[in-house]
Parts: sequence; C-alpha cells; structure tokens
Amino acid sequence: MPSTDPHPPIIGDGPAYDAVIVGGSLAGCATAIQLGRAGLRVAVVEKQPDPGAYKRMCSHFIQASGVPAIERLGLLEPIEAAGGQRPRVRIWTRWGWIEAPPERAARGLNLRREVLDPLVRGTAAETPGVEMLLGWSVERLLRENGGFAGVAARNREGEERELRARLTVGADGRDSRIAELSEVPVKTYPHNRFAYGGYFEGGAPANAPDATAWFLDPQWCAAFPTDNDLTFYAAMPTKDRLPEFKKEPEAALVRFLSDVPEAPPIRAGRAIEPVIGKIDMTNRMRKPVAPGLALIGDAALATDPLFGVGCGWAFQSAEWLSDSVLPALRGDESLEQGLERYRRRHRRELGGHAFFIHDYATGRKLNPAERLMFSAAARDPKAAALFDTFGTRQIRPQQMMPRLVPRAVAVNVRHALAR
Amino acid sequence: MSAVPAQAPVERRSLLAGGTRTRLVQAGPAGAGEAVVFVHGNPGSADDWAGLAGAAASAGKRAVAFDLPDFGETVAPDGFQHDVPGYAGFVDQALTELGIERTHLVLHDFGGPIGLAWAAMRPDRIASITLIDTGLLPGYRWHSLARVWRTPVLGELFQATATRPAFRFLLNRNEPRGLPREFVEAMYDHYDRRTRKAVLELYRATDDPGGMSEALVGLFAEREVPALVIWGEHDAYLPSSYAERQREAFPAAEVHVLPASGHWPFADAPETVERLLGDFLAKLPAGSA
Repeated sequence: MPSTDPHPPIIGDGPAYDAVIVGGSLAGCATAIQLGRAGLRVAVVEKQPDPGAYKRMCSHFIQASGVPAIERLGLLEPIEAAGGQRPRVRIWTRWGWIEAPPERAARGLNLRREVLDPLVRGTAAETPGVEMLLGWSVERLLRENGGFAGVAARNREGEERELRARLTVGADGRDSRIAELSEVPVKTYPHNRFAYGGYFEGGAPANAPDATAWFLDPQWCAAFPTDNDLTFYAAMPTKDRLPEFKKEPEAALVRFLSDVPEAPPIRAGRAIEPVIGKIDMTNRMRKPVAPGLALIGDAALATDPLFGVGCGWAFQSAEWLSDSVLPALRGDESLEQGLERYRRRHRRELGGHAFFIHDYATGRKLNPAERLMFSAAARDPKAAALFDTFGTRQIRPQQMMPRLVPRAVAVNVRHALAR
Repeated sequence: MSAVPAQAPVERRSLLAGGTRTRLVQAGPAGAGEAVVFVHGNPGSADDWAGLAGAAASAGKRAVAFDLPDFGETVAPDGFQHDVPGYAGFVDQALTELGIERTHLVLHDFGGPIGLAWAAMRPDRIASITLIDTGLLPGYRWHSLARVWRTPVLGELFQATATRPAFRFLLNRNEPRGLPREFVEAMYDHYDRRTRKAVLELYRATDDPGGMSEALVGLFAEREVPALVIWGEHDAYLPSSYAERQREAFPAAEVHVLPASGHWPFADAPETVERLLGDFLAKLPAGSA
C-alpha cells in the first residue's frame, strides 16, 4: 500500500516514471497495463483507497467498438469468466424494432462495474512496472521546460510525494482535476435529460433478451441483462419528469419502464440496491493533449450516457494513447509527435460521433434525417445491420451516412408505395 | 372499435335514457349498483371502450359505456342541448336508468369536462375518477382544430370538407405511432353530418374549457377522490403537462405519462392502459371514497 511503499521517489536524476496516470478506473488501468507490458515504468494515482472501488453511476454497457481493445489487453476471457454478457443491441422505435440480423449484429459487453473495475485494476496492479498508489490525490501538476512533468500527490495521512514522469495522463473522469489544473481548452454542451438506474433481480427480461433501448422520442429507457441474472434498468427522461423521480426513484423508474410499449418485466423484479440518479450531465469535450500531458476516457470526452459509449471509449482511447506514445517513451521520437498522433486519432475516431451525440443530448426529438434512418432501420434488415454497425460505434458517421442514407430513402419510398 | 380483444365478454344492447336511444357496451356483473362508467370524447363513441370495459370487468367490476347523443350511432332528440350541461344531464339520466349508484368514472377528451361536470352534480356517487388525456384544464387555450370549429363559417367549411382521406391524414399526422387503421376508419364512419353539427355546437358553447377548474379542484380535493391519470406524452390537443396538474384536485392521484403515446392511449397502447386501469380498480378498497 502507498504509505508503506519501500521505494522513495527518485528526485533530481531524471523522472522516476515514464508515465504517471491519474485515475485508476477503466481508461487509466488499461493504459497502465499496456505501457507496463511494453516495459515502461508507470505510476497510477487513484484517490479511492479501496482496491475494490468502482464507479456507481454508470450504464456499464460496453459497445462492441470497445471489445477489441479489451481483448487485446487479455481481459475479455476473464470478464466473460466473471459472468460478463455479450448482448446484441435492440432498439424500439415507433416504426418497430431495430434489430440487425443475428449473424450481422455486433455484440457488446456487460459486466457490472462492481466486478469489472476491481478486475481491471487488479490486472494493472499485477503488471510488472506498474505501481498503484491508492488513496492518493493530486495536489498540483509539476512543470518542466514549458511542459507538464508529473504530479504532486498527497495521501490521507498528509504525506506528499512528487511523482515525476515524462508523460502525465489524466484518466480522472468527467470532472477531471488534471484537465482543470492543466487548463486545456474545453467545450461544454448542455444536457437536458437526467438519468436514473439500478440493478434488479428476478423477472426474466422477456422483452429484453439483449441490450434493449427504447427511443421514445424524446424520452429514453433501457434494459441491459448482465451477470448473475441481474438486469440493469435505466431511464433518461427530459427534465420536466424530474420531480417524480426525485420523490421516489425506484417507484418512478418501475413506473416509467412499465408504461413503455412492449415493456420489460421490471415490475416482476426487485431492486438489489437503491436506484440512483444523475441530474447534471453537461457534456465536455476537451483538447486531449497538452505539452507532456494527455487526457483519456471521460476526461477527454464526457458525452451523453444515453448511447452507452463511455466505457468502450475509455478502453479505446487508452489504446490509442498507448500506441501513439510508445515510440516516444522508448526514445524513438519526440513525445510531442506521439501526442499529436493521439490527438488526431482521438478526434478522427470520436469527433463525428460526439457531434451527433451532443446535439441529441439537448433533449430534442429526432430530426427528419434521424427519423429517416431510424424508420428505415426498423423496416429493412440491411439498413438495420448498417445502423447496428454505426450504433455500436464500429464505423463513424462519415462512413455510415453515404451507405445508410440512400438505402433509407429507398426503403421508405418502397414502404410508402406498398401502403 | 377496440384495438385488442376484451378480456371479459362484452355485451352490446341499446338503452333508452331521457328520450335518447343510445348504444350500450356492457361487461361484468350486470345490475351491480357500483360500475365503471366510460365517457368518450370527440370524435368518439361507446366503441372506444370495448377493450377497457373488458379489463374493468376482469377486475370484478360492472362496466358500462354508451354513445353520447349525436355521437357514434346515436341520434339526439329534438331540442337536445349540445353543451356541457346538456351532456352531463344525459349522463345522469343514463346512470339512473342503469341503476348505478356508485361510479368509477373513466373519461377521455371532451368526456372530461362532461364527466367532471356530472361529478360536480353528484359528488356523493363518485367512487373514483380515471382521466385519460383529459381533466381539469386551468388556463387551457383551445387547440387549433377546436379554434377552427369555434369560428363561424370556417368551422362549417372544415366539417364539409373533412373527407375520409383528409380525416385520416389529419388524425395520424399528430399521432406519434399512428393509430390502428380500423380505429380511425370506425371513427370516421361515426363522424356523420349529425356528429359534425353536434361538434360545432358543443365547441361553440364551450368558451372556456378550463373555466370550471377552480371550483372543481376544491370539491375533489376535499373529498380525496381516488384518481388515475393517464396521458399520452405526445398529445397534440391537450398537452401532457396537464397530467401532473391533476394532482391539484387529486393529490393522491397515480399519474402515468405514456412516453410513446398520443391523444388516444387506449388505441395506441391498449395493453398498458388496460393494465393500469385494471390494477387501479383492483387496488381500490371495496366501497371506497
């Protein structure tokens, strides 16, 4: 444990670490595993002292886009062994269900964070070269030669350590302290829905055999079957529905999900822990790099939980960063080049997705273009397959639209003529 | 026409009340003094309620629904007053004729003002109230179609040109999921000359649909009338923001805003509405309120 760490930090003779990662959750630990396995020395600074700590307010859904990164870390098998489910995605729309043909539907991953987080953190802790500092909070950033060069951290006993590193990584979530201290540019986008959710036992999810979301336009809710025969139920209504949820979170959630078309059997279930909510989900998109510093996961892009992309993108952005900076940390190029490569990759992969997600997060209804695509996907299996590939974030909007829009027009014209 | 088959057998016969021969849809223990009474809106008829009458009967209750005069297939007698008091008076005569002393009102659309006005006449007979896309509407300004109906000449012109395709288009345009085809067709079948004329008279006689709200809020709140409120979130005529406001009159109301429904939740989400009404009725203590 940190306070009994036998190795005092090396001061003066170059940085002690190749990378210091702030935040020991999914993105931070994934980066630590990858850099550690590459033979680098990594410190992970996590303010929670409990190795079993986990993120409570999370849909825990991992889109199919994140699965390859998890597999590459060697975590897919342990996650499945721990009870992780591999659901397809089904979406209710007023035009019918959007379900890609089973052989073409991508499979995501569901394992409760209570199980997932300790599993990923444990793997990081066992990786040679990775030092976990649990119960340490960042006080300030260290600076050197005009760039960032690690952090000063303090533990609960008041002991302070300077952790010098060539690369500082902020993996500390939506309200990132590292982002704040480094003053990287940030754009915020209003979020006009709120979220309540919880895990239920009992009541096989008859209308939710897979990860199922209802696009009630503008309301939204979902049922995700997960490990141990539990189901995660969530609702993301517009803010006018907030009073009833604040008053009785569980009753309001049960009522909301029971009243939707082809409702899941939430009333037959029982919440295994209190239903909790998050009301402010202002989206933040930050420039993911600064000299000597990078942001990953929600610290780089905290977007709308409605689309279940956060966990997957945590693993993916961790992978992009590790791959981008490895040559520099090995001394083959400048760190600046590596960080620039990461910045470009992050923007290319997620910029388009973020644009559409932020726009829908205003609480608005589907716009005509979205209605065209949703309705076509509900009516045509090929459109559904394309929609699925996009919705599970395996292709970018720029790749999806030239293929889906013409098909959607054709499908809807055919539908109108057939009536 | 109901969108789903009723759970309990539904009987259809005719009923003479106050000089009007109306169509009656009935289910459950006939002759019971306590009954679920359905009042339809505009355009609507006793047929709207066949599915829900079955659900109410399955909850052990007698259920009755009838055409209001000049709606459905029912012809109003000469001199019938097509306004809220006139229709409330008809409801009173029908219930007397049916021997119903304790009433669980289920109201939709214009059946709201009519049913609530009747409830104000006979507060002692109310056992519970279910409001479906209707209720007390303080500050409500008529929806655009109603404003057309209320305008002399324009209203007549609209009614004269409301052909079947136009009617179908207008109705479905405002419904998030569209309505079952047979439901819309039956509605149009009943939208004949008499009904069109009655609609104009009824809307023109109702200057302020929220007018009686204030007086009624006190009446119901004081009596703690058990209430169920069901509202389609996408209702284009009576905004769903009124759903929560029904608590002003019914503080203990169970309120359900159905997130994928429009103005006719019993047509676009029949299973949900039947479940909510059935559960609500089953939960009421016998002889409550």
